[in-house]
Amino acid sequence: MIKTEKVLHLKSSRGRKVRVVREHYLRELVPCYSSLCQAECANEGKVLSADVTHYVVPDAGVTRDFMEILEFREIQGLVFTQTACQAVQHSRGRRQYNRLRSLLKDPRHDCVLFANEFQEYSYCPREKGEPQDKWQTRCVYQAAVWYHDHLAGLKPVVMITEDQGAVAEYSSLNCGVYVLSTLEYLRTFWPELQAAHELYGSIAQALRERGNEGTEREFAEHLPAEVLEAGIKSGRYTQGTLNVNKHRAQHEAFVRFDGSSNKNSELDSDVLVWGGKNRNRAVHGDMVAVELLPKGEWRGRTTALTEGQGEEKGEESQGQPMPTGRVVGILQRNWRDYVVTFPPREETQSQGRNSLRILATPWDQRIPKIRISTHQADTLQDHRVIVRLDSWDSTSLYPNGHSVRVLGRAGELETEVQTILIENCIHIAPFSEAQLREMPASSPERPWTVDPAEVVTRRDLRDTHLVFSIDPRGCEDVDDTLSVRSLPPGPQGPRLELGVHIADVTHFVKEGTLTDLEARARATTYYLADRRYDMLPAVLSADVCSLLGGVDRYAMSVMWDLDAQTLQVNRVWYGRTLIRSSYQLYYEQAQALLNGEEAEVPELAQLPPEERDHKLSHLIEALETLTQVARHLRAQRDQGGALELEGVEVRAQLDEDKNITALVPRQPLEVHETVAECMIYANHWVARKIQERFPQQALLRHHPPPRQEFFTQLQDSARALGFTIDTRSNKALADSLDQAVDPQDPLVNRLLRVMATQAMSNALYFSTGACPVDQYYHYGLALDRYTHFTSPIRRYADVIVHRLLTAAIAVEEGARPAKASASNKELEEMAQHINNKNRAAQHAQKVSMELFQCLYFRDKDPETAECCDAVIYAIRTNGVLVFIPQYGLKGALYLRNREGQVVRVSQDGRCVWEAGSLQRSLDHVSTTTASGTSTFRLFQHVTVRVSVQTSRCHADTLHLELVSNRAHRAPEPPDRTPRAAPPQGTRGRSQLVQEVVRQAEEALLQAEEKKGRVSELSKEEREFRQSKTPNLYSLLEEVREQALLDLTACGAVGGGPDLGTAARPCATSA
Amino acid sequence: MAGLELLSDQGYRLDGRKATELRKVQARMGVFAQADGSAYIEQGNTKALAVVYGPHEVRMSRSKTLHDRAVINCQYSMATFSTAERKRRPHGDRKSTEMSLHLKQTFEAAVLTNLYPRSQIDIYVKILQSDGGNYSACVNAATLAVIDAGIPMRDYVCACTAGFVDETPLADLCHAEESGGGTSLALALLPRGGHIALLQMDARLHQDHLETLMEAAMTACKGVSKVLDQVVRQHLQEVSALTGE
Repeated sequence: MIKTEKVLHLKSSRGRKVRVVREHYLRELVPCYSSLCQAECANEGKVLSADVTHYVVPDAGVTRDFMEILEFREIQGLVFTQTACQAVQHSRGRRQYNRLRSLLKDPRHDCVLFANEFQEYSYCPREKGEPQDKWQTRCVYQAAVWYHDHLAGLKPVVMITEDQGAVAEYSSLNCGVYVLSTLEYLRTFWPELQAAHELYGSIAQALRERGNEGTEREFAEHLPAEVLEAGIKSGRYTQGTLNVNKHRAQHEAFVRFDGSSNKNSELDSDVLVWGGKNRNRAVHGDMVAVELLPKGEWRGRTTALTEGQGEEKGEESQGQPMPTGRVVGILQRNWRDYVVTFPPREETQSQGRNSLRILATPWDQRIPKIRISTHQADTLQDHRVIVRLDSWDSTSLYPNGHSVRVLGRAGELETEVQTILIENCIHIAPFSEAQLREMPASSPERPWTVDPAEVVTRRDLRDTHLVFSIDPRGCEDVDDTLSVRSLPPGPQGPRLELGVHIADVTHFVKEGTLTDLEARARATTYYLADRRYDMLPAVLSADVCSLLGGVDRYAMSVMWDLDAQTLQVNRVWYGRTLIRSSYQLYYEQAQALLNGEEAEVPELAQLPPEERDHKLSHLIEALETLTQVARHLRAQRDQGGALELEGVEVRAQLDEDKNITALVPRQPLEVHETVAECMIYANHWVARKIQERFPQQALLRHHPPPRQEFFTQLQDSARALGFTIDTRSNKALADSLDQAVDPQDPLVNRLLRVMATQAMSNALYFSTGACPVDQYYHYGLALDRYTHFTSPIRRYADVIVHRLLTAAIAVEEGARPAKASASNKELEEMAQHINNKNRAAQHAQKVSMELFQCLYFRDKDPETAECCDAVIYAIRTNGVLVFIPQYGLKGALYLRNREGQVVRVSQDGRCVWEAGSLQRSLDHVSTTTASGTSTFRLFQHVTVRVSVQTSRCHADTLHLELVSNRAHRAPEPPDRTPRAAPPQGTRGRSQLVQEVVRQAEEALLQAEEKKGRVSELSKEEREFRQSKTPNLYSLLEEVREQALLDLTACGAVGGGPDLGTAARPCATSA
Repeated sequence: MAGLELLSDQGYRLDGRKATELRKVQARMGVFAQADGSAYIEQGNTKALAVVYGPHEVRMSRSKTLHDRAVINCQYSMATFSTAERKRRPHGDRKSTEMSLHLKQTFEAAVLTNLYPRSQIDIYVKILQSDGGNYSACVNAATLAVIDAGIPMRDYVCACTAGFVDETPLADLCHAEESGGGTSLALALLPRGGHIALLQMDARLHQDHLETLMEAAMTACKGVSKVLDQVVRQHLQEVSALTGE
């Protein structure tokens, strides 16, 4: 190694210039990562393939500005230089740099990093007075030349740069090393890659436009990073994530702190950022630094319900003043791809002088309009387009962006569904050839069979155990099966063996393969209202991995040796097995067998009667034992405080036109719960096992206890009805919820449970090394350790857990694990990734459900539109929030309209709009007009009419209108009656399961109907434990969108002692 | 700047070294004729000068005299021009007092003090340029100076720092790495017996990682000891050539 020195001029913390000398070591052997290498470099990991026509070396400027083009998978043989990467890191921040890093790590993309600055011969020291970009270009060129020489001239090397001077200067210096501009490069080598050309044009246009901006300043300049950092350390500024209020996107935004960074202990709530000037160009999701305004300028949050925008009037009802601040700087932009809608031509023209620039409205209301420079404004009008933000200067009112891809015309189903995916950052490409080539072969003619070599290493349960699965009818991807049998009595008495057998996905999906990478990127199967995107290719999920009846399959098993009476666990066995499922039952069938009713069992249809009866009784006995065990397990968890929560239940059926045609309530069966309980048990025991074996790096799932403040609404509402809800622990909460039953109105208990659910936080995956042991607790299930193990076909977390379990077993048997398992840090990153993806999946599912709801109501005639029953569950200053059990909808009901008129209920229950005032108190709201007063109380039933408000740029929304203050007495469809039964006994218990089941099922059902095939229902039962999660999350989201939770809950946090009253002072508005 | 990348994905550190590589070490002994022993060392850009006087009779205060062994007196200082920003560095500020104390402890463990009862050994160390690992440069320089003075020691005392980034131990941190956050552990080792003369770490580190980190530091110290040994041998050769046969 040779030591040299590098002189840098940096700024010191006090802003003075400092000369810093850093050492810089050069070496001769820097791996080139090319498979053509003649010098035997130590090339580990990814190498450039040899079968490309040339290698391409982008310079720092190209890497910085045109990385999106380099991300095209078609462009192969990319050599990034260290110089370019560092330039990206310095000028574009960590996010862009991480994107580059993940690109480099992605084995599907043919690109490598060459550490040119550490190579003795390719390093060139910066000369005195040489500008940085010139030096960078020179370095990159030097690296390109070295690379060419190193490969002994076997491949031509192309360097691309935007610097025309460099093209002229270097292009004829060396033969074999070509210097081209990006445009020329694309034209020469990729003339057919149309998308890249368009993207190039769009980015270049945006870059050009950025140059000639006006100079009038619209916003205050952001402070430089050093000042921000110092300010945050000293407590002068506070750091947090900007959240824009969806309903008042123009004005209201909150900065939420990330726990640790907040040293300012008096500031434990969010900070309000009011108005566009104070927000200072921050966009929703950015990490910002805020400075608090003096107390005199603090404002409260708006508590009234708003109908769309533009009705911000002078009279605003505000909550208590809360800390208010302004954004002084942005620490990290968090821009993603946004979907925007181009305005129609008339609007474009009225925009004046420069018709090249279009202001497009993002689909997400929280994002400001984006200015886009394009020549295609005419062809794109009313289209939805993916846009990336480039910059937002202090001289501009709107951010600049460039278009990336056109999705289609607004309002078309396909466009809308794509929009939902993009907005949730879900990118799904079909499985590639290479991925499918990794799959085991299986076709109807030549089904896949077990490998004899595997049979030896696995425990064979085919002849010894009665294994069966219980799933929704028609399920294809069976990922769990059960078995139960009695064992010879031990010293303590009779024993039972309970087994849970899960599809052995990790046998087929090896770590690091292309399928594995794809599955990891997807992290979960996505269920939308009308389709689903699988995590694994169909050959695995529906065939080779699926534990179908009557065929041999690999499984991962957990088997407990239990005491038959007390269900004490004597021994647990974990391991890989070979099983053959004897019966593939469905829920209704299993329940019928349990109830002693006649049920058709197709597996037995062919057998002679005696044998059939014998086998049938055997099966029924197993089912009964299983039910016993599950009841016992549930009782144990109930004692620990397990919660039954309630989501909004709706299951929509689609016809061929994808309209919602019916709402089918699920009949909850005890057998759902039985299966769920066994899965929870298996997950729990696997969690124990991997956590014991890998105390620092096991993937578990925890559910943090909710913050007490979030229960305020629940407690207030319950008090209005005379119930008390004790929220001190999960046990207390579960007990008091069980008691809060109004015999007249079963909905009351349901709504209270919904509210309790809203108060919950989400369950999350985490790595055990990243969390203290006392935070492992799962609040909802009342278990000290929990993970996901039972659905590897549709969740990547389960795949990781399977690998951990396999490693744990291997270690126990004394084998050294072949490969070190992921470190705590990697696992924690992975957990975060999966959490984010799950959140995105749930949100996408919810939004797509709403989309279909809107389609359903849109097709109805607004005049004859269905009136339905709704229940008031929360009170706001100018309206109430209602829940419509028939459709599982929640929405806002306005009692005052834009003209200031209020609703009055006449004698016959009809409603009319009249001038008057609105009075709000804790448990009711009343309207007073010249002709009388009408009152709306909490939990009162009213009749509403549902209609659709269409919106060009955003998603359509549902609009509710009050029809009468009496309960809707339309002839109830008979199938709705069971819903009204009080949620007690088995019914209450199975709600948990039921609700879980509902979710996946509806998605699947619809997907299936769409394809016009016979049902292929999902397996979601296994989902239960987290079953709640989708709902929890979607509920929270819903609430947030209606500005409920963040009003009361967050207000409560800030309000200190006045927790409960955060919303109260505004009652006198109007 | 938000976080320099201390260890790149390809395993390079900021200055182009790999995780276990030391900076370049250069040293000379006997740089001052006046003192009993002296040495100059460069560890990368950290440069230190050490001077040893003694053993001589106790001069500080009689009461400090030890009757069974020698007193070791250490003084550490930094030149005003040693860092990027020029700064006056008065004697006896907290940092240098602490460093002096550490040096003293280190050399009390290594020098055979019981050979010189009722006497005193002075070790003066000055940092001329500071670029991380000041303590280890001081220890290494002082070792050479003590050897130059002919004072018997149990073994060389070799010191080196090690840090922990991305689950990987880094040997011999430079200033940018030391100040970039993360743990830094300084270790002084008597390499032949593997005895630890001093171990210092004031950041948080998970217990599980301590062992790997110490291992890395020890390997680094052994590497330093090889260099020092070479310097000593070369110096002896030169000197014996000068004094003639």
